[in-house]
Amino acid sequence: MLDDVRPLVAIDNLRVEFQGEEGPIVGVEDVSFTIAPGETLCVVGESGSGKSVTSLSLMRLVEFGGGRITGGRLEFASAAGVIDVAGADDATMRAIRGKEIGMIFQEPMTSLNPVFTIERQMTDGLRMHMGLSGEAARARALELLKQVRIPEPERRLKQYPHELSGGMRQRVVIAMAMACKPRLLIADEPTTALDVTIQAEILSLINRLKRETGMAVLFITHDMAVVAQVADRVVVMCQGKLVEEGPVEQIFASPKQDYTRALLAAVPRLGEMRGKSAPEPMRLIGDEADVRAPLLPQAPEPLLEVSNLTTRYPVKGGLIRRTVANVHAVEDVSFTINKGETLALVGESGCGKSSCGRSILRLSEPTSGTVLLDKCDIIGLSARDLRRAWRDMQMVFQDPFASLNPYMRLREQVAEPLRNFGLAKGSEVEDRVAGLFDRVHLPRSFMSRFPHELSGGQRQRVAIARALAVRPKLIIADESVSALDVSVQAQVLNLMMELQAELGVSFLFISHDMAVVERVSHRVGVMYRGRLVEIGSRAQVFETPRHEYTRTLLSAVPIADPTRRTIGDDLNFRPIPSPVFPLGHEPGPSEYDEVAPGHLVLKDTMT
Amino acid sequence: MKLPASFRTSKGMLGIGLVLAILLIAVIAPVLIPADWATKMDMRARLSPPTWAHPLGTDQLGRDLMYRVLLGARTSIAIASAAVLMSIVIGLPLGLISGYAGRTTDNVLMRLVDTLLAFPALLLALTISAVLGPNLQNTIIAIGIAFTPFLARIIRGEALRVAQMPYVEAARTAGNSDARLIVRHILPNIMPAVIVQSTISLAFAILAEAGLSFLGLGTQPPDASWGLMIQASRDYLDRAPWTALVPGAAVALTVLGLNMFGDALRDALDPRSKGAS
Amino acid sequence: MSYILNRILSMLLTLFLISAITFAVTNILPGDVAMMIMGTQSNPEALAGLRESLGLNDPLLVQYGRWIGGMLTGDWGTSLVFKEPIAPLLLQKMTASGLIVLFSMSIALICAVPLGVWAAVHPNRWQDTASSSAALLGVSLPDFFWGIMMILLFARGLHWLPSSGFVDPGEDLLLAFRHALLPSLALGLGLMAHLTRMTRATMTGILNQEFIRVARAKGLGERTVVWRYGLANAVGPVMTVAGLQVGYLFGSIIVIESLFNYTGMGWLTYQALLNRDIPLIQASVFVIAAVVMLANLIVDLLYVLVDPRIRLS
Repeated sequence: MLDDVRPLVAIDNLRVEFQGEEGPIVGVEDVSFTIAPGETLCVVGESGSGKSVTSLSLMRLVEFGGGRITGGRLEFASAAGVIDVAGADDATMRAIRGKEIGMIFQEPMTSLNPVFTIERQMTDGLRMHMGLSGEAARARALELLKQVRIPEPERRLKQYPHELSGGMRQRVVIAMAMACKPRLLIADEPTTALDVTIQAEILSLINRLKRETGMAVLFITHDMAVVAQVADRVVVMCQGKLVEEGPVEQIFASPKQDYTRALLAAVPRLGEMRGKSAPEPMRLIGDEADVRAPLLPQAPEPLLEVSNLTTRYPVKGGLIRRTVANVHAVEDVSFTINKGETLALVGESGCGKSSCGRSILRLSEPTSGTVLLDKCDIIGLSARDLRRAWRDMQMVFQDPFASLNPYMRLREQVAEPLRNFGLAKGSEVEDRVAGLFDRVHLPRSFMSRFPHELSGGQRQRVAIARALAVRPKLIIADESVSALDVSVQAQVLNLMMELQAELGVSFLFISHDMAVVERVSHRVGVMYRGRLVEIGSRAQVFETPRHEYTRTLLSAVPIADPTRRTIGDDLNFRPIPSPVFPLGHEPGPSEYDEVAPGHLVLKDTMT
Repeated sequence: MKLPASFRTSKGMLGIGLVLAILLIAVIAPVLIPADWATKMDMRARLSPPTWAHPLGTDQLGRDLMYRVLLGARTSIAIASAAVLMSIVIGLPLGLISGYAGRTTDNVLMRLVDTLLAFPALLLALTISAVLGPNLQNTIIAIGIAFTPFLARIIRGEALRVAQMPYVEAARTAGNSDARLIVRHILPNIMPAVIVQSTISLAFAILAEAGLSFLGLGTQPPDASWGLMIQASRDYLDRAPWTALVPGAAVALTVLGLNMFGDALRDALDPRSKGAS
Repeated sequence: MSYILNRILSMLLTLFLISAITFAVTNILPGDVAMMIMGTQSNPEALAGLRESLGLNDPLLVQYGRWIGGMLTGDWGTSLVFKEPIAPLLLQKMTASGLIVLFSMSIALICAVPLGVWAAVHPNRWQDTASSSAALLGVSLPDFFWGIMMILLFARGLHWLPSSGFVDPGEDLLLAFRHALLPSLALGLGLMAHLTRMTRATMTGILNQEFIRVARAKGLGERTVVWRYGLANAVGPVMTVAGLQVGYLFGSIIVIESLFNYTGMGWLTYQALLNRDIPLIQASVFVIAAVVMLANLIVDLLYVLVDPRIRLS
């Protein structure tokens, strides 16, 4: 067949411009690549690389975002012959969209129209493209839901999007994109907003559908680990330009361009820390300065002792806003962090790891339990004494764009704790702030800037400087690197390890990213439904996981190595049950088996 | 300093121009124009259409409409500004406390505000003005009180949103007291919304003052206000429509300017509304 | 179901607060009902006697209790100005006002929604500029100014419509309609402008959402994407704003009905305020606030129909 030889998509010298305030801004230029029928091509890049613009151009959907294709050809081999998408008229494009090219997007929560039923949204494309009757379209929709393995498909058709979980919605969106058996599926960051187990399910689903139908997949992502798991070929993009292209094994084994090499060096790979006892900074290309690995002091001395911590949030309802139920966010959690040590809390969204961190600082008031910081009982403190206690423990938040006051100069924001805690006066403040900026590797000229003048990574450094200002004993880092691009993430991680090595500060590192956690932590706690299900040294948890949930989690993590593919079978994990319980519900205490010295596993698994 | 992009549109420029022009008139017209020019009755030229002597015509007593409308600007602007200021002075602490304290305080305050919101603002203002007796000062109080619940609601919403931002939590752990937290971290971040809402409220206050005066329950003669001028014109609409058109246009231009200014301000200050208007 | 029940209970509580506020505000009035009845020049002894018999010397709380009791049992007292029982009077005037309020709301919605959508679909193009500028002009003019313009144009100039008065629809439907048309238009123009701006802002937000992109990626035509997928999501928010504007309308009718001599609630309230007819002020202010609240309750309940997310929560 000729089809096997001719590419399905041939992009040649694509150039896309956006209308900016001062003339056109180039979104993408000089981008050329092809997609063969039946292959998975991954386009990978950090934010601003133009990867999404490229995929939207292929559907000619950039126009709706204010963009314009100003040069190049986008040839697509449709059933009716080769079409240049760049110059096709609207009617032709509508006939291709949804019929020959299906597309899925990043946010499953907003990808479906909230006021229409699943049936209506699934059938309208079928009726239009295939000319199916209402009954036939419904039958096909049902068949599609079965194909994407949605439980109780008949019931789902009658439901509205908000009644479905995120993973299920993404399955519906995929079913919709598959409705007319497209030749090409464009997946634009389809798993970025999903938990790791659901990500694994969706990736395996896309893999299976591709195998079954022979369609090609254009997969857009920022995540090198996902690329390694799904790609046949890879296109690396940076700042609107194509950097490198090649088969996935070649890109990972022998990248030709510096940018690709730097990108890969910044990606932590699950399992690469095997056999090492201490965290280890990443070796970044272009930043060869030797960063000291944080070593533990000889005699472990406990700093933070958390016992039986329980935090519940009331669900209010009714006329006088009574409490009608409780969200059991943290349920009988106990652990210790030693001086100079990093304990990581990992788990999926809603598992209570952030609530746990906030409860320790009493930013959320715990329901019961004790928290001792250097033998000082935090829970019993009055509001005034608590404020004083914060001198010893600080927090670094997730969103670098929301954790700095937009109307205050950075100097002021870092100086505030110094003044409030009476740590410095007069000109001393300025010197201390300057020292802190040096400490986090930011130029002193940034001190008089406002947050919006900085990039995300730079802001996160300021947030760290602010936390460091009081010379705390403990820093709680709540998903502090999750919102950052991978190369910036690596730099910030290295900074945190460097600070630990030099200042001996302890970290409670809260994260959903297993590979990052493996890199930075001495000890690891895994959380599930508010409880700590397993805790131990990093080697114990990662190399000999004992709890069923820990194993599930580890098996779902994509590994940034194309020779170690774990995705492939059809995965279907058990959904996480709701943490909302009626008033008065008292779950039993957490009881643990000590399977090895310091390695605790929760009894009564998966209840 | 460069103007924000939203002001560099024709709408934004027009808004700035109109607001500046009217503020200028309100400030300097009473200085430049002797007060008796607006009250001098030209008995031979009653209800005169626009002429060289009276560029905008005269009213039923032969008073020059141009001078009256220029001098009326100060009354209308002053009443509206004072009323809005009053609603901010009451509404800002109310909204801040409600949004920051939460729980019972919030429930009680907002139940009260919701109840007040069930009264149409104009009805509330009219009733208060009638109860207190219509005069300039009571007009301010009436409009000020009538606008307060709305403002308090908006400020509460903003305070609620800002209070849970990570930078406020970070500032809390940085050892700031509640008072400092409100003054240094929450207040600056809700000010954009307050400023935008004040501009829009100012436009509504001008309309409300005109409405109140039109019904005789606002500014009282001999003070000249635009609403009063429109009221006086009602009996002469057939013979002298300009007596209504001139003050009507003055109100329209002022409110239009304030609305355009407010729109541009909102776009400039509120990144969330980018592209949405 | 519990949502609806909650809303209704909450409404009853607000209604109670409304009555308390109304009663409190009107009791600050200098002079009292006895003075109003007998005049300022009356014999102080007779005045005192009347006060006693009217119960005006009782504590305020007792007076409030008596008033609210009367309101609940249908005894709304007698108007001092009109010398008529208040309840039937209010019912009649409310019907007249309801007519123009509904009429103006319909006019406003029918014009505003397409205009707003049209502007949102063509952001920063001439369609947007035209409709947004018109809307801006609309919200910037006082509605009584619109009224005056309409009187000048349609009544005095073209002699198409009567400029003043009210006719009961039961007597002469066509004539009643002709009398209601100009006040409704005067009320509706500002409202329409406001709703156009709202619809545009809402639709702009909706059209930037991901599910709209998904609908386009399915190959649906722009008409379906905008008018089905988009608009279905705008119905709720626009309806809510329209509901809130019922309050604005009941403020505006005071001015507009006086201007057009249209004898409805607004006109009646105005007469009561001018003449310090305390029982009538209390009753009409309370009724207006209650009707405004009821309108919002209805909108909230209708919202349940257009947004499935509320239906099940």
